[in-house]
Amino acid sequence: MSSNNQEPLVLLLAGGVGSRLNNLVQSRAKPAVPFAGIYRIIDFSLSNVMNSGFSQVGVLTQYKPLSLMRHIGTGAAWDFTGRTRGVKILPPRTGARDSDWYKGTADAVRQNIDFIKTHPSPEVIILSGDHIYSMDLEDMLQVHRRKEADMTVATMVVPREQIKEFGTAITDSDGRIVEWEEKPAQPRTDLASMGIYVINTAYLLHTLETYRTDMDFGMDMIPRAIAADRVYAYPFRGYWRDVGTIQAYWEANMDVLRPAPPITPAAWGIRPNPEADGLPSDRCPARFIGAGRATNSLIAASCLIEGTVINSVLSPGVWVGPGAVVRDSILFHDCLVAAEAEIDLAILDKRVTVGAGSVVGCGAEEEKQQANREYPQHLYTGISLIGKGAQIPAAARIGRNCIVSPGRRSTDFPHQVIASGESV
Amino acid sequence: MPQRKPKVLAVVLAGGRVDELSVLTAHRPKSAVPFGGFARVIDFPLSNLMQSGLELVGVLSQYRSFSLINHIGIGASWDMIGRYRGVFVLPPYQGFGQSSWYRGSADAVRQNLDFIQFHNPETILIISGDHVYHMDYRDILAYHRRKDADCTMACVEVPWSKAHRFGVAEIGDEDGAVGGRVLQYREKPEVPASNWASMTVYCFKPRVLYDLLEANAREDESFEFGRDIIPRAMVGHKKVYGYKFTGYWGYTRTIEEYWQTSMDLLGVEPRLSLCRWGIRTNLDHRGIRDCQPLKVGEEGQISNSLVYNGCLVEGRVENSILFPGVQVKAGAVVRNSVLFFDNVVGKGACLDKVVSDVNVTVGEEVRIGGQTSAGDEPEEQASAPLVGSLLAGAPVAEPTGVTVLGWNNQIPAGMVIGAGCTLYPALGPEKMTRSRIADGEVVR
Repeated sequence: MSSNNQEPLVLLLAGGVGSRLNNLVQSRAKPAVPFAGIYRIIDFSLSNVMNSGFSQVGVLTQYKPLSLMRHIGTGAAWDFTGRTRGVKILPPRTGARDSDWYKGTADAVRQNIDFIKTHPSPEVIILSGDHIYSMDLEDMLQVHRRKEADMTVATMVVPREQIKEFGTAITDSDGRIVEWEEKPAQPRTDLASMGIYVINTAYLLHTLETYRTDMDFGMDMIPRAIAADRVYAYPFRGYWRDVGTIQAYWEANMDVLRPAPPITPAAWGIRPNPEADGLPSDRCPARFIGAGRATNSLIAASCLIEGTVINSVLSPGVWVGPGAVVRDSILFHDCLVAAEAEIDLAILDKRVTVGAGSVVGCGAEEEKQQANREYPQHLYTGISLIGKGAQIPAAARIGRNCIVSPGRRSTDFPHQVIASGESV
Repeated sequence: MPQRKPKVLAVVLAGGRVDELSVLTAHRPKSAVPFGGFARVIDFPLSNLMQSGLELVGVLSQYRSFSLINHIGIGASWDMIGRYRGVFVLPPYQGFGQSSWYRGSADAVRQNLDFIQFHNPETILIISGDHVYHMDYRDILAYHRRKDADCTMACVEVPWSKAHRFGVAEIGDEDGAVGGRVLQYREKPEVPASNWASMTVYCFKPRVLYDLLEANAREDESFEFGRDIIPRAMVGHKKVYGYKFTGYWGYTRTIEEYWQTSMDLLGVEPRLSLCRWGIRTNLDHRGIRDCQPLKVGEEGQISNSLVYNGCLVEGRVENSILFPGVQVKAGAVVRNSVLFFDNVVGKGACLDKVVSDVNVTVGEEVRIGGQTSAGDEPEEQASAPLVGSLLAGAPVAEPTGVTVLGWNNQIPAGMVIGAGCTLYPALGPEKMTRSRIADGEVVR
């Protein structure tokens, strides 16, 4: 007898804009942003679900869902195909009454109550699709059942200075959440919500239908629930990053390069979907020719290395030409770095071409403090961001914290020199 | 209304071992031998078929077929699934009447005539699964139809000194560089009259093939296309044409040839360019789809090499090919070598001119191959393209002294293994008690 009716239903919230990732999310949702060469951010959540043994998944999309939908495909990459297994994309839809965009996490789930009802399960697990971590959700489910909780919230200890970004929990000795503060200015705890919830299905349906003005789990539902219901914290210890900013995104990629890396995607069982690119043939092994060399880097298949790569993450199909140097950078699929060009502390989206002898990321150490004028909140640590398909002309010099918008042609550059903090 | 049902049925001869490639074929047919840093030999003919739009395929398999069946899977990797697309592995079977193993390539096809006749093709394309090359079969098929030939065979020019190893065809001048009528055909002649060698790529009119196979089964003692069927066609005055192929053809019968063909993948302008060809493999086989990108460590150095996802390089790799999951530890040197899936090369070990099958663990400070020493500086010309292969015709010295390690071996720390050695698969620790294995030794 199958134990399917004991299996929780998983809802993956993948609709967020993630606007602080700037032009990395201009044409894709945050969960679809490439990570560590061959992955996309959502692969971590999808693989966690698979590795926890769950196989009924709904993915709630809203913002720029196309690349996400193509990436998920049939779900076969995460073993979500089969008679009782499946992954369904759940976009916002118009209906008799609920004819609106998702207005928050709880609202998004509410608008898919019909999906929940057609997949009877004792619990619903709600995850975010835009975090880098490895977690055994089965263990969290068991704790939830053991505590006979109505709702369990995964939490982890974060540094005090970061906690104002999170929903925070104060628990009693049993782990029950007794107080909740959403993004507190003066935090009283270092226990932060990871946005991962196990909720009894009946309880969830009842709550969503009763309190129809609750739009968000953290803001509305949890504060109400802790007063009357059994809401528990599940303590997670391990690596977890919300790569919501350019700096955090860059740092998490660099974490994969460290000698004893805190992120080990293959060892964690994280699965990419290499076929989603729809290439006519498979990517060949990476080729090193001539004086090509790499140190402390991740180099994906079908890269062609004729220059030097240091401390960098290269997605498949990147060419580093003779004499070119790529340092402390992240290059997405099929970027071309022509001979003698130099990339220092930059993120290049897919299919960026850098002309011969150009420098992306030039300028002294102090220029790294010179934030981007247009987006000072996005780029302020020295990282320059080159949008998808942009063409940097030969012999250009692009400074620190610069932004080149997607699709810019060589002719769009006003000068050969783009000063630190400027945008094209 | 266009007729959607394929007019061409392709049959891949993938069953053989024929004592080729030493211990690499101890547990798999030659067509399933890994090649090119991530693929298998049969990926080349299968990718050729896909790119030629031929997606109805039978694969004849007999020797150790599991590895091949596992690799081909449902055929989705080569788009061979769909209403009129499919790849069917055809193993030997027992029936009411005579049951036998496949007694040769021709016998294998004859035993599967029901499969072939069910699909009722206009042309049967028979190809070997054992060769590395890129070919658009539509060209030879078009030539075959244009000549209204009974049989058209693809031939490639080989050095005269090697021609005696092949079936060679004397091709008339009818169509110049494209091909012509086969005037004479000899299988492995002592004194070849031509240096156009058959590539084991044949187009047949079905009726002609059926008759030839039947006569062969009735009258002959041997059942091979090259040795029996083509000569029969010649004797029977069938219209046999030769199609001249001019691209790269990797023929690997010995470990040295395998090694050389692999080396042809390296360099700035490789003789054999995987990327340009567009090879597909089954990414599910050994789960290589899930490998993370190659990680090069702080001290790692890679030059003139092919390295696939899933490798971890903390030592030095030169002129080599690393399949997924290979680890080269700090201080180790891998040079002029081909390491199959999941090899681990321990700290300070040195490998030179080694072909190592899957799951071999090389202990710390092990030395394999003749000229290796840990302190060597890389040679100046290390990055120069390695050219020359068996079929290049270029005056390249015959490569010698490749050491081959069978799968699932553990080489104990400090062991020294010479050049040109052969280690059989999965030797137990009791076979590994010596500190030194001399040049050319075979350990079984």
